[in-house]
Formats: sequence, structure tokens, C-alpha cells
Amino acid sequence: MAEDLNWAVGGEAGDGIDSTGKIFAQALSRAGRHVFTSKDFASRIRGGYTAYKIRTSVDDIQSVVDRLDILVALTQRTIDENLDELHEGSAVIYDGERSWEAEIPDDITAVDVPLKSLAEDAGGAIMRNIVALGAACEITGFDVEYLDEALEKRFGGKGSKIVENNKEAARLGQEYVQENYDLDHLGYNLETTDNDYVLLNGNEAIGMGAIAAGCRFYAGYPITPATSIMEYLTERIEDYGGHVVQAEDELSAINMALGGARAGARAMTATSGAGIDLMTETFGLVATSETPLVITDVQRSGPSTGMPTKQEQGDLNMALYGGHGEVPRFVIAPTTITECFWKTIEAFNIAEKYQTPVFLVSDLAMSVTEQTFPPEAFDMDEVEIDRGKLVDEDEVDEWLDAQGRFRAHAATEDGVSPRAIPGTTDAAHMTTGLEHDELGRRTEEEDERVQQVDKRNRKVETAKNEEDWDYREFGDADADNLIISWGSNEGALVEALGYLEEDGIDVRVISVPYIFPRPDLTEEIEAADEAIVVECNANGQFADVIEHDVLTRVKRINKYTGVRFKADELAEEITNKIAEEVPAQ
Amino acid sequence: MSSDVRFTDFKSDKQPTWCPGCGDFGTMNGMMKALAETGNDPDNTFVVAGIGCSGKIGTYMHSYALHGVHGRALPLATGVKMARPDIEVMAAGGDGDGYSIGAGHFVHAVRRNVDMSYVVMDNRIYGLTKGQASPTSRSDFETSTTPEGPKQPPVNPLALALASGASFIAQSFASDALRHQEIVKEAIEHDGFGFVNVFSPCVTFNDVDTYDYFRDNLVDLQEEEDHDPTDYESAKEVILDSDKEYQGVMYQDENSVPYHEQHGVTENMSDIPDGAPDDAMDLVREFY
Repeated sequence: MAEDLNWAVGGEAGDGIDSTGKIFAQALSRAGRHVFTSKDFASRIRGGYTAYKIRTSVDDIQSVVDRLDILVALTQRTIDENLDELHEGSAVIYDGERSWEAEIPDDITAVDVPLKSLAEDAGGAIMRNIVALGAACEITGFDVEYLDEALEKRFGGKGSKIVENNKEAARLGQEYVQENYDLDHLGYNLETTDNDYVLLNGNEAIGMGAIAAGCRFYAGYPITPATSIMEYLTERIEDYGGHVVQAEDELSAINMALGGARAGARAMTATSGAGIDLMTETFGLVATSETPLVITDVQRSGPSTGMPTKQEQGDLNMALYGGHGEVPRFVIAPTTITECFWKTIEAFNIAEKYQTPVFLVSDLAMSVTEQTFPPEAFDMDEVEIDRGKLVDEDEVDEWLDAQGRFRAHAATEDGVSPRAIPGTTDAAHMTTGLEHDELGRRTEEEDERVQQVDKRNRKVETAKNEEDWDYREFGDADADNLIISWGSNEGALVEALGYLEEDGIDVRVISVPYIFPRPDLTEEIEAADEAIVVECNANGQFADVIEHDVLTRVKRINKYTGVRFKADELAEEITNKIAEEVPAQ
Repeated sequence: MSSDVRFTDFKSDKQPTWCPGCGDFGTMNGMMKALAETGNDPDNTFVVAGIGCSGKIGTYMHSYALHGVHGRALPLATGVKMARPDIEVMAAGGDGDGYSIGAGHFVHAVRRNVDMSYVVMDNRIYGLTKGQASPTSRSDFETSTTPEGPKQPPVNPLALALASGASFIAQSFASDALRHQEIVKEAIEHDGFGFVNVFSPCVTFNDVDTYDYFRDNLVDLQEEEDHDPTDYESAKEVILDSDKEYQGVMYQDENSVPYHEQHGVTENMSDIPDGAPDDAMDLVREFY
């Protein structure tokens, strides 16, 4: 198990918690340390409790754990909320000069630092969180120069004066602790390495993947936690000749994206919660018009407005079955932040190869988690673009009927028709959400109806055969205990393997990024004594699908508190579940 | 683009199933003629159609076309134009599509001022569903779903456009072929969102807003010397005048700057490299 440090800053929304945490995460990354972050936050701009948590190690880490070593507490609630995770080796940094009197259990080291006063000495009270970061550096034996680098990155655009003041604030915090406390007994001494890491979250990875894949048009409507994809693209896509438009609602957003895709652009929309409900209206049109479109759903807690800032994997059924009628589609759910990047690229390729909507299903946990990776994990030279059967003017002829009309929905053997985009000479054609003939014109003829339904379904069959729909595998391939997961639980599961191994429990983990089409797990489940499906929802939507595929019962671990799985918690749950006699229903 | 495009090139070989005498025939003819006269051809034109009788226009015309979901013609057309500023984009739909289920999009498409035209075939009735009240039906217009009339004032689409910050507002009458064609042509040529509400009578379900009614009551703004379409106040006066039915260009903002110029959207977005863009590793390095 990696020797890790778990650090957090917490206070009220509006206290700058997020940027403070991000700066510290950046400093750790600069020092060649791995970082995995998580956020506790509420859907409000001011007030309430919010925290930014960092787990860091020189080894690769992929999960949070139920332990907190250093806590910067700007409010009493921050301490209260985290009491269970604090231990006798923990230290809490707080400002004793502030109006609240910190109540900190005796066995926890209280480090009283006059954050506000020292910040004012450095140039302004606004820098009190930076004073706390300096103090944290001292307690953890972390070289404050890495913090300087992060401050330069964060404040560089605001001028050297601001940067210098912040560095001074950090120094004052560090020196204050050095002069007033002897904390050697805590034993924290953060190592550094020469490794270069990049630090990013899942939504940034999706946005970056979209640009790499040639996405040039994005239409969206702001909604937590999908908005940051839109913000990422807004800042960058114009450098690549693209554009982001903020639509008036999600009904409009998906239709704009569809229009862009119909016109030949690689186009995307992203949403969450009720936004995906509104978009459902247009799923069928995307599918029957056979337009390549990537629809991203960053899942959050539902139903209805639910818990907008909390984790859930509750939209699987929606992604698989949403929309009236039978809508052919592909559903891909990246399992890690790097996979958010690669699967986005794959989604665009599959969308264009099969001229079908692709649902890219991510979740809140991944969207807000910042994690370190070697930059090679996003090697742009590895990016491949496949535009499918896009025809140019020389190829139009072979797809014209006897009257010279372009057969945009030609019922080919593989189900995939030629695709001509506007401006292609002699290929002008219409299409419609009405059932249509090969020319894209309305029909209610039985033969033509059957022909078009079959050809759309045939595309899915072709894709099943031609693409890899593999799962990712971890742990002991011969283990009796099989854990199956989808989406972002992979990291916590991989780390849980370590805990389970310590307890002598062998486990095989199968992490499934393809929800439809998906790998057939019949053999794997039959080979195991225990099969357990892990997911962040109450009803076990993926477990239902697996049971249906394999025609057998599986055990289930479900979490729907709004918080993602943690590695240590998951290890315990798995241990208990294996011991359970009868499959839970 | 060939210079000898005829309006019949925009006609498909599919026979319209509109009722004989439907205003949509004249509306469509004018659209095809206006497109041809403005130097477009079917291969560089994209028509987006809504749902309803009017929505069938994509089938009867020949061009690139998408017949979408009820009420969403404007978002679809917006997406097409953003991705392809080089393509002529025209949206068409009915009063139900545009002012009822799609009213939210209408407001925002108008203020977004994307360089496209929008032709609404306004027959003040739901025709395809066989005669229910539409948002432009008169308040005492009796229908199967409003036996005593809607008892609510009709939407004034021109006023809605004006209030939403429109840069071009016009109205025409399907039966006045030449004027209709001229007005649609002006909408196409306008730098921005060219909106034309067309009186397109439903001969089957609307016995009030008939050809005769419009012939008797229509005032052509071209003949009104006092009217200056570039003057906002003048436009407001005719748009809010509920006593008369007007045809002509009510309002045109001479300083209209279309969306793509405001936002610098000029690229044909369908052109992308075979792999990631050359400098794509910069996107990764940003996260150091």
C-alpha cells in the first residue's frame, strides 16, 4: 500500500476553498507526487460547508480513503464534518483569532495560526488560505518552493505583485508554525520525485479528447456537473476553428449539435440530470436521421433535481433505453480520467463510422476529481480519426439511384450508408425523423419500414463484430471472487484489491466501459464462486443488465448516499458481501 | 455553383399532399424562386423543416434538408449554419411549430441573429391534426379543442420578434406570389436572421382567415409612403396595429451584424485533420 497523505481544506462556499485546494494539488503535482482529489460541496454560491480533499503519494493512487491527516478548517463545521476521519496523528490548522472557538478533540493536534493577521501582513486578508498552505507545508515537511510554482501558475496572469504577496503569505504561515510548534512527532515528511505530471479532472479530459478528436461544434446549456466541459471548450475550441454556443435550453442544445453534425462537423453536447430528460426528445431523430452525434451525460444524483452536486450512476437505464420507440445507439462509460479522454475520441469515431448517436456516460465523481498522470497518458500522436463512409464528390455517383437521386439511407450489407455533407455536388438529399425510404423521404410502406429498421439495427451488429468491446481487468484472473463494475468505481476497486489481499481475499475485478454493446460475461461469472456487481445507485441497474445477459443471479453492492466509493470502505463491503449466504435481491 | 440555376431545380419529384388550394403551395414556390434568384443551388442550400403541414416542405423541395422534431427547426438550422457558414440555411415551419411548441427557440433565434432565413407558414390553425386552435388563432375561433374559441388573444409573432431584438421582420401573403417572393428574397439577403411570417390560408379547417379575407384586408407597406422599415418607431407602429393586416418588410436593422461576424465563426467545421491537431500536446502541457 502506498504511503499516502490525506489533506483537506474546508469552510463555507465563497471562502475560496476550491482554488486553495487546487493550488496545493498543483504544488504536489509539481513536486512529482501523485494526487487524487475529491470535493464535498453544495449547490450554492455562498454559505454551507464545502471542502477540497487531496490524497497524495509518490505511488499511483486512484481513490480516496476514509482518513484525514491534515485539515485546514476555516469553520467549526469543517472539523465536525470530518471528525470520523481524523485520527491521533492528525493536525488541524485553524485561526484562533477568528470569532469561532475551535472545538478540537484532545487527541488531535491543534495548530492555531493567525491566518488573517499574517495575510494582512503579507498584503491582504484575502490571502489567509495561502498562509494556511504555508503552514501545511511546514507540518508535512514539504518544500514551500513547489507551492511558489503553483502560486505563479495560479496568479501569474494577475501581475508579479500579486504573486510575490502570495509567496510572502505562504512564507509567513510556514515560519509561524516553525517558530511556535514542534510537530516532528507527527512524522510527516513528503518526499518529492523528478517525475512530471499533469493534473486534470474528467470533464477536462472529455473536453481535451473532443478537441483532439476533431470536435468543432459544441452546443450546451449550463448544468452541474457538466458545465465545466462547456467552459473548457469555450476557452479553447476557437483556436482550432470551432465554436461553442450556449443554447436557451437542452432541447435546443441537442438540436443545434445535431444540426452541426448534419452539416458535417464533429459535434457534441453534454448535460446532466434533467437536461438529459429534455434531450431524450431528440434521441430518436439522431438515430433515424443516422447522424453521428456524441451526447455526454455527466451523471449526478436524481431523480428530478435530486442532489445536483452529489455522485450517482443512476442514468444507465436512461442511456440504454431512453426515448420512445426503439432507438439504436451506443453507450460508453469511461472508467478513469484518462479513459474520459480516450473514450471521447472513440465515441466520435464510432458515431461517424456507424452514423448513430453515442452516449458518453460519465459521472460527477470523475468530473470534479483532479488526478495526476504522466503526460504520455494523453499522447496526441496516438489519436486516430475515422470518419467512416463520408463520400466526396467523386464517390457520389455510385450511390445515386436510376433517377440520379442520392441514397442517403441506402440499405447496405453492413447497414452503414454513404454520408454526403452539404456542399457535396449532386448529393443533395433530405432526411427526416419520419420513417423514410433510402432517399430519406417519408414512407409508411411495410417493406421500406422493415428495410430501414433492419439496416439501422444491422449497423449495431456490424459494430459488435468490428469493434473491441472489451472489459478492463485487475487482480487475480483465477480468483473465486469476481467483482464487476462500470464507470468511475474502477479506481476504488483497484485500490481495494490491496486491502483485500492483506486479508487473504483473492479477487478478480472486471471494469466495464462498454454498456452497449457490452462484453458477454457469461464465462467469467460461471467460472467464479461469487459474482458481485458494484455501482453507485440503489437499484442495481447494471446488475439487472448482467443478470439478464447471463441468466443468473449476482450479488450487489450499491451506494446511493451521493458520495463515491472509497477504497477501504469498498474492501470491507466486498468482504461482507462474499460472506453473505444468499444473493441479495 | 452554377449560374443557370432555375427555381425548378429546387423542386423534388415528390408530389405535395397538401390539400388543393393550400397556401403552402404558393409559399413554397416563392421560397424556391427566392433561393434561385439569390444565386443559390440545391447542393449549397440546407432547408430545415418543422412538424405540421408546413414541415412537409423539405420533401417537396430539393436541397440538403432535415425534417426535425416538432418545434426545433430553429435550433437545428442554427447548428447547421454555425458549422457551415458557407451554406445557405433556410428554416421553415408553421405557426404551431414556431410560436407554440417552438416559441422559446423563436425568441432566442431572433436575438442570436444567425445569418439565415425563417419562413413561417401561418394559417392560424393546426391543419395536420385536423383543425385545432393555434397560437395565432383568433380568440373567438371555434375548433374541436376550443368549442367556444381559445378566449385568449393570439400571439403577435411580429411583436414577439421585435421585442426579442429582431434585425429583420417581414410579412407576406402566399397568394401575392410576386410580393411574397420579393420579401423572402430580402430575408435571404439580409445580414442576419431574416424572419418572414407568411399568411398561408388553410382551405380545409380555417373559414375565417381565408384568401378572400386577406385579399380584402391586406395593406402593402410598399404603398404606405409613411412607412420606413429602417425606423424602429415606424416598424413598431405597423407591428402593433391590430386593426390591419400588413404585408411587406416591417423592420430591417441596417446595422445588423450577424452572429458569425460577432463571434468570428468563419470556418467550415467539417474540415478536420486525420489525427489530433498538430499542436494538440499543448493542451496536455497546460495541465502541468
